[in-house]
Amino acid sequence: MTPKVLHIAAAADLQPVMPTLTEAYERESGIKLIVSFGSSATLTQQITNGDPQDVFLSADMAHPQMLADAKLTDGTPVSYATGKLVLWARNDSPAQPLSIASLTNARVMRIAVANDAHAPYGLAATQVLTSLGILAKVKAKLVVGENIAQTSQLAESGNAQAGLISLTLANSAHFRSLGSFIPIPDTAYNPLHQGAVVLRSSSQKQLAHDFLRWLTSEPVQNGLHNLGLEPAK
Amino acid sequence: MDFAALGLTLRLAMLTTLCLLVLATPLAAFIARRDALVARLLQATVALPLVLPPTVLGFYLLVTLGPATLFGRALIHLLGHPLAFTFTGLVVGSIVFSLPFAVLPLLLGFQSVDPVLTGTAAVLGASPLTVFHRITLPLARTSFLTAAVLTFAHTVGEFGVVLMIGGDIPGITRTLSISIFDQVQELNYAAANRTSLLLIAGSFLALLALYARRSSRRNSDA
Repeated sequence: MTPKVLHIAAAADLQPVMPTLTEAYERESGIKLIVSFGSSATLTQQITNGDPQDVFLSADMAHPQMLADAKLTDGTPVSYATGKLVLWARNDSPAQPLSIASLTNARVMRIAVANDAHAPYGLAATQVLTSLGILAKVKAKLVVGENIAQTSQLAESGNAQAGLISLTLANSAHFRSLGSFIPIPDTAYNPLHQGAVVLRSSSQKQLAHDFLRWLTSEPVQNGLHNLGLEPAK
Repeated sequence: MDFAALGLTLRLAMLTTLCLLVLATPLAAFIARRDALVARLLQATVALPLVLPPTVLGFYLLVTLGPATLFGRALIHLLGHPLAFTFTGLVVGSIVFSLPFAVLPLLLGFQSVDPVLTGTAAVLGASPLTVFHRITLPLARTSFLTAAVLTFAHTVGEFGVVLMIGGDIPGITRTLSISIFDQVQELNYAAANRTSLLLIAGSFLALLALYARRSSRRNSDA
């Protein structure tokens, strides 16, 4: 018998997180997870147009709620994690040593941010720059990635001297080996409550709900911190 | 309608077409004149962007030409900035990406020139440059139009490379194709539809003009 399979559409900030989660879930349940990544907006767009996924793991609550409003979900979105935004730069970047002042440092010519209309971390970045009162000042420096994974790649390759990226990516072994990050104060942006939802078109809703129950269970929630996320609130 | 993106895209396509006609003419002439292995190797290299995904090019432009490599650092030192996120970067990417669309039609045009004509001219004492200028170029002139139209249209339609190295900067790297992508992502289908229809109409007219000219030539030849 072929093993049971769940298709998961996951926000790009989960790229370094999902391998750990899928491995743990497969070990516990015997169910294989097949994950597709994209910005929360891209995935919403694809699901709206018939992408056959079982579960949607967004980087915000707004996008799964849009699907729920369009009656494309089975149940309402549940929060499964809280995302954190950080300022990351390569070790050889002129942005080092990193501080909030690095953003306005003249030698930092390009800052990578995610698209604030497609990607929740992009929206958070815009909120940070606004609340720091430097959005107008740094606007011309901003280069925009379609999702947070692409955004962090722009800074990882050094083409942008710094990037406002997710802690999940900054915390991954690769990014740790290349650079360093500082956290952005929680007060500077609206909390990134990440929402999950089972999709109405899924042919295995029971399995999908089981996965969400596992994801929001205490042991998994307690382990999120090591992966660059905080438990759902 | 994103007019900044429209203007930028037309500027990018025009500049790419001009650069490519200048680069592709000697390249196609060189390949056409030789049967040797070198010419075949060159032809295969030139045709590569036809079959490679644009992500390959985007990846190399971003990483190899970025500050993470020695070559990239030298280039950045020379230019004062990385190629990524600049209009120049897009022009460089477009030139590589559209290279076969300029070289291959020209090559076909040069190869279709009767070797008896060029041979006779050479026997009569014309230098290779004169032969090319006075015989090959005039006989292959429609290939220049084909090369220009295809290069222009292909550059307008470029997406993957721009997405990877552009950084979506309004007025600098946000081309029409990126603008449409953004509009679709934002579920702004009406705007995406307007921009897309404009692209479809423009591209169709360009191709129609090209093919209509060809068939009228064929009819007048007959």
